[in-house]
Amino acid sequence: MAGGGPLWDTARFVHAYLALLSAGFRRQATYRLALVSGLLTNLFFGLVRTALFYALYRERPEAVVGGLGLADALTYVWMVQAMFGVVWASWIWEFPEAVRSGDFVVELTRPGDPWLRQLAYELGRTFNQMLFRSTLPLLGAAALLPLALPTTPAGVLLVAVSMVLASVVAFEIRFLFGTVAFWSSDYRAVFNVVFPVLWLVSGFVIPIDYFPAALRALAEGSPLYAMLMAPVHVAVGQSVPSSLARQVAWVVALGVASRVTLSLACRRLVVHGG
Amino acid sequence: MGRARAAVAVYRRLAAATLRGRVRHPAGFVLRTLGTGLVVITEIVGVVLLVEGFGSLAGWTAPEVVLLVGLGAAGQGLGLVFGDRLEPAFFSEVVRKGSFDQVLTRPTSPLGWMVASYVEVRFLGRMAVGAGAVVWAADRAGVDWTLPRVLVAVMAVVCCGALVFAISVLGGALTFYTVEGSEVVNIFTYGGVSLSCYPMEIYGPGLRAVFLWVVPFALAVYVPALVLLGRAGPPGLPATLAWVTPAATALFAGLASAGWRAGIQHYVGTGS
Repeated sequence: MAGGGPLWDTARFVHAYLALLSAGFRRQATYRLALVSGLLTNLFFGLVRTALFYALYRERPEAVVGGLGLADALTYVWMVQAMFGVVWASWIWEFPEAVRSGDFVVELTRPGDPWLRQLAYELGRTFNQMLFRSTLPLLGAAALLPLALPTTPAGVLLVAVSMVLASVVAFEIRFLFGTVAFWSSDYRAVFNVVFPVLWLVSGFVIPIDYFPAALRALAEGSPLYAMLMAPVHVAVGQSVPSSLARQVAWVVALGVASRVTLSLACRRLVVHGG
Repeated sequence: MGRARAAVAVYRRLAAATLRGRVRHPAGFVLRTLGTGLVVITEIVGVVLLVEGFGSLAGWTAPEVVLLVGLGAAGQGLGLVFGDRLEPAFFSEVVRKGSFDQVLTRPTSPLGWMVASYVEVRFLGRMAVGAGAVVWAADRAGVDWTLPRVLVAVMAVVCCGALVFAISVLGGALTFYTVEGSEVVNIFTYGGVSLSCYPMEIYGPGLRAVFLWVVPFALAVYVPALVLLGRAGPPGLPATLAWVTPAATALFAGLASAGWRAGIQHYVGTGS
């Protein structure tokens, strides 16, 4: 081994993963048309949902349904729009596709850790999305509507931290999902059935606060809580410490789960071709 | 007449071949079809929980709102069976890779060829769940199924499907210009139907006007629902507008067709 000592190794290690992070950031930055159309889509759906919640609360403006008042519900609407780009990656199929085609084997020959490399790359993507696709809808909505967003720097920082944690959980869920490709080449079909259920339970359809008690307990206990509703609750200032604690716990638990799955999968990996 | 019949036979054969390919993996096919229906079920669960939690939405009960969701979903399912692959996410690849050159050399209409060879039968799952929701909601809302009402419901689904398909065609036409896929079209195909899930009373005049007179989803979903429920409708949006629905849909389809032809004129191959 050239170079000297563990300190030098650590520096090289950090440098390598930072380079991947910046590559992820830059790749997302090249999709300019996607950014504009994504923002327009966020604006449209945000407007429709805003109209919906105004209409629901119109008859009872001061009502608190399921623990949410009008301002909280509107904050939910625009946080959902802000979170969409953070938790979803347009290149979600690249990992399972690489597994299916066998290209993934190249990943195993590279130095470092394949899981950490993907995480660094995805975090780069997340930071890009947060910078443009999350802040713009939120700032726009906050300027025009009575949202319940935090006003102190510490509060804003906590929302940002919660969003990053949500993006790590989302990456881990996507990763686990991608590993399905090790076992079944028709992973997309499985995704088609799983996705609607995830969509509902995570709170993308309506806030889980409006769910009946049993379904709500299920949603709050699931890792999907850490992906969407935890940042929403942090934003409206409801059970902030417990939401963040759950997110950290899920980041660790899913991290372990995805690494174990990957090592199991690599043991049964068969590479086709010669 | 003979030529038209021959063309239909060609399209039918293409579509049958596509279908046979899809069914070759039965498990995957069933899962995909279930998936498109499951999306609607989650929407309905959401709407029911929300409207029941608050009591009503702009004077509409939960089953009445589900009727809107069902009509929209059934129409969207129908439209996407034919239009899904024209949307930029997929079609941009056809344009980018130059595969469209080959489509142009075939002795069929390019649009007919695209539609017939990429029929997406899985969206029948969405159509079936939507239709089921209409039947369920109509029962709960006390709709009296007379023949005219049945015809209005069928017209709603067909017109909504035609609008979704027409927007997909416009999305395909737009791809000839942008080449890169643009998701903006989804605002209309998915967004237009999402917006139609709720009574138009909740929207401001701007959104209402756009979805009534520009992309007439309100005429295809909301207005027929008024007729089924025996509601008069708010000022400026009476149930009698249902008479206008077919004409407005046909007009929009005509625009989409003109847009497609302009797009093809603009198409330049990608070279090699």
